[in-house]
Amino acid sequence: MKNRRLTTVILMAVALVFLSAVTASGYFWKEAALATDFSRKDLSPSIAFLFGTDWMGRDMFVRTIVGLSLSIRIGLLTAAASAVLAFLMGTAAAVMGKKTDSLICGLIDVIMGIPHILLLILISYACGRGFWGVVVGVSLTHWTSLARLIRGEVLQLKESNYIRIAERLGHSRWYIAFRHMAPCLFPQFAVGLVLLFPHAILHEASITFLGFGLSPEQPAIGVILSESMQYLAMGKWWLALFPGILLLVTVLMFHFIGQGLVRLVNPGSAQE
Amino acid sequence: MKLEGKNITFQYDNGNRKILNKFSISVESGERVGLTAPSGFGKTTCCKILAGYEKPDSGEVLLDGKLLSQWKGYCPVQMIWQHPELSVNPRRKMRTVLEEGDEVDERIIEGLGIERDWETRYPFELSGGELQRFCIARALGKRTKILLADEITTMLDLLTQSQIWKFLLEEAERRQLGLLVVSHSEGLLKQVCTRIVNLEHV
Repeated sequence: MKNRRLTTVILMAVALVFLSAVTASGYFWKEAALATDFSRKDLSPSIAFLFGTDWMGRDMFVRTIVGLSLSIRIGLLTAAASAVLAFLMGTAAAVMGKKTDSLICGLIDVIMGIPHILLLILISYACGRGFWGVVVGVSLTHWTSLARLIRGEVLQLKESNYIRIAERLGHSRWYIAFRHMAPCLFPQFAVGLVLLFPHAILHEASITFLGFGLSPEQPAIGVILSESMQYLAMGKWWLALFPGILLLVTVLMFHFIGQGLVRLVNPGSAQE
Repeated sequence: MKLEGKNITFQYDNGNRKILNKFSISVESGERVGLTAPSGFGKTTCCKILAGYEKPDSGEVLLDGKLLSQWKGYCPVQMIWQHPELSVNPRRKMRTVLEEGDEVDERIIEGLGIERDWETRYPFELSGGELQRFCIARALGKRTKILLADEITTMLDLLTQSQIWKFLLEEAERRQLGLLVVSHSEGLLKQVCTRIVNLEHV
């Protein structure tokens, strides 16, 4: 039965290598992504230009990688920010009494009640769009479901027999928080965090696509996709297809890592 | 040491009948009190109140004349729960269960038949009986003076039951522990206890 564990680890490693490679190469190719050359414009995919070139002769492969790299970095930042927010809100709701609890739960309901993309556009626009608009917007809209999960978990833990027994055995609040609660909360938190990445990346791409996110001169994946829409009707299918597929692959990779993490940290399935 | 419950009244929040009404009980060091009653008469509730897990609506729980809630740190009254699988953290190895107790003696671990390689396993890798041995060991820390045993061997086979009780009686004798034994089984209580209280008749 060791096989399943091994395949999970291998799959996660592959996903991790892919994502780091994309992120790193995007960093080094920043200049190359902006280089225009009108002698090679509108080329369809070939060996020299894997993803073809666009109407300004820019290498689409390089542009896509740089765009994805930017998306991944924004995704990491926003997912981390919203996960921390979720953790603070969730535990505060669970341990700080009834009033705080109903306040935070109400806030979660309100945020979840408004269509995601609408709120995202609103916040991003209010923050002046651009990089920080996207980061603040995505962070402030994605913490709710994880916060609700953590709140429930902490509430349940507080009432669990083994924690009440630890109290009677004279252990301090710190001991209980770190030794008893943390091992139970960590898997939920880590998985929640990783599964936030794909959401954050997709939403970043969508609001940029809609024109409320990153500015057009940045090679973001949303910008690439929205520009290619205009050329799609002219038969330049490669401009949208490859960046779209690569975005999908990136999101799937994060998903695999999340799923693998669930399988590895859950005692019930860890030995499979 | 003497643990006393005086005129305890208790009712759960869901508004059902009073589960305990002006009930009094006491357990002294060296004494083994049996507590029996049909299901739903508040045997477990009584244990939870005496061990400080629940506060009675009226009446008081005293340990050596001092309110139990005023004892800080390690509580000399320890309770062993009926369900061992709920009483250990599913994400921590069994070794930590023993560490959590108050310097649990090697003698206790051996006496309960806990094998060394169980300590490196997770709770879901052990059976209910094996888990219960850990829970009993954890409750038998150095500073424990009164032990409340709530149906602790109900789920075990007869052989294991007698093994565990034999050890517990020896341990109680050696350390002059006060024991409150809750059980449905008249036979067990008659074997083990110095006196028996029936919740049904009070």
